[in-house]
Amino acid sequence: MFKKLLTLSGGVWILVLVGLLFLPRLVDPYWVVFLLLLFMYIGIGTSFNITAGYLGYVNLGHYVFFGISAYGFSILYSKGVPFVFCLATGVLVTLIFATLISYPFLRLKGGYFALANFGLIKLFELVAGSLRDFTGGTQGITLTPGYRPFQTYYIFLAVSLLTVIVCYWIPKSKFGLALFSIREDEEVAAAFGIHVNRNKMAAYVLSSFFPALLGGTYAWYSAFIDPEVVFGTDKALLPVTMVMMGGTGTFLGPIMGAIFMMIIEELLWTSMWLPVWIKSLHLTMLGLILAAVGIFSPGGLVTLSPFAKFFTWVGLGRFLGASHKSLKLDGT
Amino acid sequence: MLVTLIQLILAGVLQGGTYALAAFGLSLIFCIAEVLNITHGEFLMLGGLVTYILFATTGWNPFLILLIVIPLFILIGLAYQKAFIKPILNRPPRQLFFSSIVVTFGVAMAIEDTTSFIWGPTVKGVSFSMPALTAGRIVIPSLRLTILVLIIGLTIFLHFYLKKTFLGKAIRAILQNREGAMVIGINVPRVITFVFGIAIGLAAVAGVFYVLQFTIGPFIGLPLTIRYVAIVMLGGSGSLVGSLVGGLILGIAETFAGFFLGAHWSLAVAFFALVLVLLLKPEGLFKHV
Repeated sequence: MFKKLLTLSGGVWILVLVGLLFLPRLVDPYWVVFLLLLFMYIGIGTSFNITAGYLGYVNLGHYVFFGISAYGFSILYSKGVPFVFCLATGVLVTLIFATLISYPFLRLKGGYFALANFGLIKLFELVAGSLRDFTGGTQGITLTPGYRPFQTYYIFLAVSLLTVIVCYWIPKSKFGLALFSIREDEEVAAAFGIHVNRNKMAAYVLSSFFPALLGGTYAWYSAFIDPEVVFGTDKALLPVTMVMMGGTGTFLGPIMGAIFMMIIEELLWTSMWLPVWIKSLHLTMLGLILAAVGIFSPGGLVTLSPFAKFFTWVGLGRFLGASHKSLKLDGT
Repeated sequence: MLVTLIQLILAGVLQGGTYALAAFGLSLIFCIAEVLNITHGEFLMLGGLVTYILFATTGWNPFLILLIVIPLFILIGLAYQKAFIKPILNRPPRQLFFSSIVVTFGVAMAIEDTTSFIWGPTVKGVSFSMPALTAGRIVIPSLRLTILVLIIGLTIFLHFYLKKTFLGKAIRAILQNREGAMVIGINVPRVITFVFGIAIGLAAVAGVFYVLQFTIGPFIGLPLTIRYVAIVMLGGSGSLVGSLVGGLILGIAETFAGFFLGAHWSLAVAFFALVLVLLLKPEGLFKHV
């Protein structure tokens, strides 16, 4: 383990990590906010990959866990309960919800599972908007505002690191092997003595844990949530979009997808050299870019040669291709 | 009480019928092309928008405008399929599903943004009214009755289209057994192209009916798509009867919940119904055609 850290790629990782730890002291607060949102996207995208990539169940409602936790957190926090307790409750509620819902939903196959989850997110948007006494309805919940980008930065950094480490560990573990065999053929997996239902449920609940952590913290950071912010349809499709953009067949895909997504959004919003009409149509541009990536780059952006060369150069080459067999998405 | 009940059921049937038309298109695309078409609700919105523009500029009868909208949107559907869906069709299933979500979501975003940029984010409606019919104490708005008759007519037409014509038979053959259909010489990519034409034409027709009953805005597309997804789940995909029944269940549940619990609860109840159905029958109420 420690010998590994002394190699070139280990060195790069340590450097990046130390850099990220001290970065908030060095750069403009603008970049701190940019990075913390980036970590949030990485955490969501990577945890989405646990069910979509490893288990083969595309969970279009992955963002629902984020929202439930955010609401659980905000309801308690606005009543004056301390931060840690609120976050723990938010996460716990999400885990219980995921356990309960996994029973009916994991009986569905393929596209139907995806569609049911897609409906789930709309249901929660409506419920959150309807329970006025409890969630503040469509007005949302406003928490005591405060300047919290730095604390949030470190929490999000920690959570996204944890997510990435867990997602790195799963393919090497027995649990991961069970998931892959379920992905390839459920009946055969069951015949070989794998508890199919138990493993599917475990993966589903595990993948709900990380967005739950992020959701509670996000509510604390932004000090305001409403149904549109945490359960909006555009949000629901974000993880899929990012994973697809980065590259579905790879471990780096969700991470790079999040980075690309953030950069494109920022460029379309802020760059000076774009004409005004493009900026006022920036969602159109983003949409067309997404469509173009989907059409022209089936493996995602990481497989394009300039990026691929860069990753090989820093020693991450083995995560690029579908040759990293356990992380292959389109296992047909 | 009975009168209110009958009124509510009528309203629910109308709403459900409008849903079912568009949902059947989505369900066909989902089964034949194995693509989740998130843009579907946007085409409904565009159909409504075209009707609104034509009605505002020329003042024609909206049911005549229907005759312009149908061929126009069948062409748009074919073009849409050629531009965005065809390039991704020959990918392996799970990757196709992913790609289709990204591509159609991107297009949906672009359509929403462009529409709200050009025509503004305000809601629009066509104020076209016809005299109401009364039967005893039950009031039936004749505009809605006309729509209902048209929906029933279209459904019967679709039913016979699927049973009698070559394209309809080809669609059903692919639904039953894709490989088998290929073996006996059905040109699957070609059928997929036509399915997109039909489905998007249907969505636009639903849009015309929608704009006559409610109002449209540029951002109604995505929520509507999710509603159709629920209908497809409820009824079972690829089935005309399933879409109809799913649409009616959703429509009636929505109107009843809206009346007894308040309008903001209507959709939530419908989705609870969906989860219930999933618990009892995971593959939906009806199987293929």
